[in-house]
Amino acid sequence: MTFLKRYLIPRLFQYFLVIWLGITVVFLIPRLTPNDPVMRMIGEMRGRGSTLEPGAMDGIIRDLTQMYGLEGSWLDQYWAFWVRLAHGDFGVSFFQFPTPVNKLIATAIPWTLALLLTTTAISWIVGNIIGGLAGYYSRKGWSRTLDAIAMVIRPLPYYIFAFSLLLLFAYVVRWFPITGGASLGAIPSLSWAYIKDVLWHSILPALSLIILGGAVNFQTMKLFVQNTNSESFVQYAKMGGVTEDRIVSKYVIRNAILPQITGLALSLGQIFSGALITEIVFSYPGLGMLLYRAIINGDYNLIMGITLLSIVGITTAILVVDLTYPFFDPRVRYN
Amino acid sequence: MNNKLTVLRTEQLKAFYVLDVQGTQKVAKAVNEVDLAIYENEIYGIAGESGCGKTTLLKALFNDIILPLRLIGGKIFYRIGWDEEIDVTTLSPEEKRKLRLEYISYIPQGSMSVLNPVLKLRETYEDFIASHVSGQSREEIFELAYKQILELGLPKNVLDVYPHQLSGGMRQRVTIALAALMKPRIMIGDEPTTALDVVVQRGVIQMLKDIQKNLKNTIILVTHDMGVHANVADRIGIMYAGKIVEEATTELIFGQPRHPYTQFLINSLPKFGDKNVRSSVPGSPPSLANLPSGCPFHPRCPHVKEICREQMPGFTQLDENHKVACWLVGEGNHG
Repeated sequence: MTFLKRYLIPRLFQYFLVIWLGITVVFLIPRLTPNDPVMRMIGEMRGRGSTLEPGAMDGIIRDLTQMYGLEGSWLDQYWAFWVRLAHGDFGVSFFQFPTPVNKLIATAIPWTLALLLTTTAISWIVGNIIGGLAGYYSRKGWSRTLDAIAMVIRPLPYYIFAFSLLLLFAYVVRWFPITGGASLGAIPSLSWAYIKDVLWHSILPALSLIILGGAVNFQTMKLFVQNTNSESFVQYAKMGGVTEDRIVSKYVIRNAILPQITGLALSLGQIFSGALITEIVFSYPGLGMLLYRAIINGDYNLIMGITLLSIVGITTAILVVDLTYPFFDPRVRYN
Repeated sequence: MNNKLTVLRTEQLKAFYVLDVQGTQKVAKAVNEVDLAIYENEIYGIAGESGCGKTTLLKALFNDIILPLRLIGGKIFYRIGWDEEIDVTTLSPEEKRKLRLEYISYIPQGSMSVLNPVLKLRETYEDFIASHVSGQSREEIFELAYKQILELGLPKNVLDVYPHQLSGGMRQRVTIALAALMKPRIMIGDEPTTALDVVVQRGVIQMLKDIQKNLKNTIILVTHDMGVHANVADRIGIMYAGKIVEEATTELIFGQPRHPYTQFLINSLPKFGDKNVRSSVPGSPPSLANLPSGCPFHPRCPHVKEICREQMPGFTQLDENHKVACWLVGEGNHG
């Protein structure tokens, strides 16, 4: 089938090529920096005041070198690196020493997924619906008012906006908790009390993401709709006496939503890098927080694990867009 | 001839673009005191240079006056029944919408982008039809659509494709077929042949003529191409700077043009066997926002007299089918 040969196979090839290149870069970068993680680790151990016999020191260095995958030539290391990846093994975290990276990521991922999936979905849906209506009725007063509000919200730096929300609602009026994803000491379970606790903790971070993300979606959708509204095919449908509900749904929204679909898929792909600033400001235990701590502590294996995840996440999102886009826009079919 | 039934009539029609340019009002007098009487069962051509207000006049005739275009004065009458003329400028938006396609239909310029790119033509047809008829008659009209498509020599699978899969000429034909579908009493064409090469142009012109012959309705055709007018139109109105300056049957316009502007237009056409270089109209058309005093053509007119600079001439009726607004021809009727 020509679809397979012309469309699917080149894109799958591209997909794996990008992942391979990304992972190779992830492999190379730490090795190109003058920072030797083994010696750094030893230095830290010494800094903490532990003294070791020379023989024991050599043993530790050998063990660490093996654990970091730094044995042999780069080619050997590269091969070993892929073998480990194929087994789904990212090694152990250095900072939280014997814990495997896999386990750390697995604990952080549900928090990030739950927070970002819901906020991305809500801000996309709400922002696009309101933005679409505001774009179509751009001359109306309420549309201008909403536009002015979005204009004020959108340029706010996110960290200032999030921090102000935290100050106002967690410190000044104390409606919401100031840190964390759940109360200290709460035991994860499917009980109503625990779920309520988690929801209560997630309201402020979610709100900060929804308001800003919604404002962005609102503004772009409004602009797309206004542009589409002046397209010839919309004018022509009006001149053909097509009813307004048909024009709005099948002519204006249907065409204006196309770039927004791409945007949605890309932001879903970015979920796997976590919401760095949100998680830091609200001390939320997700992937972003994990990555932040890994960078601060020079925890290479952990950085690599999260980076790999986000490379795969984003390229998969792009692949999904590529494969589903012809379904939304017939013009890109069979090309 | 004058016992012919007028189907569309304007009285002192004035439609201006009112723009607010940095606090000062700018008025472009695109349609200025136009009196038209267009008969049933004829093809009426409107000719003139770019920027003379042709398209705006068409929009006004189509009763599609939307900001920044404003109806400053005058009336537009459609003959709905046999002896009932209604002033359509007073209709509600919903009443206007219902007249479109059923009573008066529009053939757009540049069929490139007038069809919704994400819908198959069947769906576009469906939208146009369903907006005007409901229930059982909808299916009848679809059957009619198929019959009409075959009659007009379009490929019978034309409804199963997307607009981008058709050539420009085919798209133009589809818009003409769609305009004729509900057997409207008036069809309005805005440069329907302009974007096409001459071979396709000929086919499209023939199609328009066939439809008119078949439906015995009225076609109002705007184009700057005098060659097209010579082929299609029964009567021609020459437009200059928002005004009709000469109106006559096609034979009289081409055989005995009286207005100096019309003479220029005719003389600039190439003729078989004549190897002289064709001269064009000297100068360029005036800005509609800043019209010269008196007759707007006087700065370009080789026969300009004192009175031309001061006063706009009225129409002089040369015979039943020929009227001219020029001081060289007569005083005119200023009533």
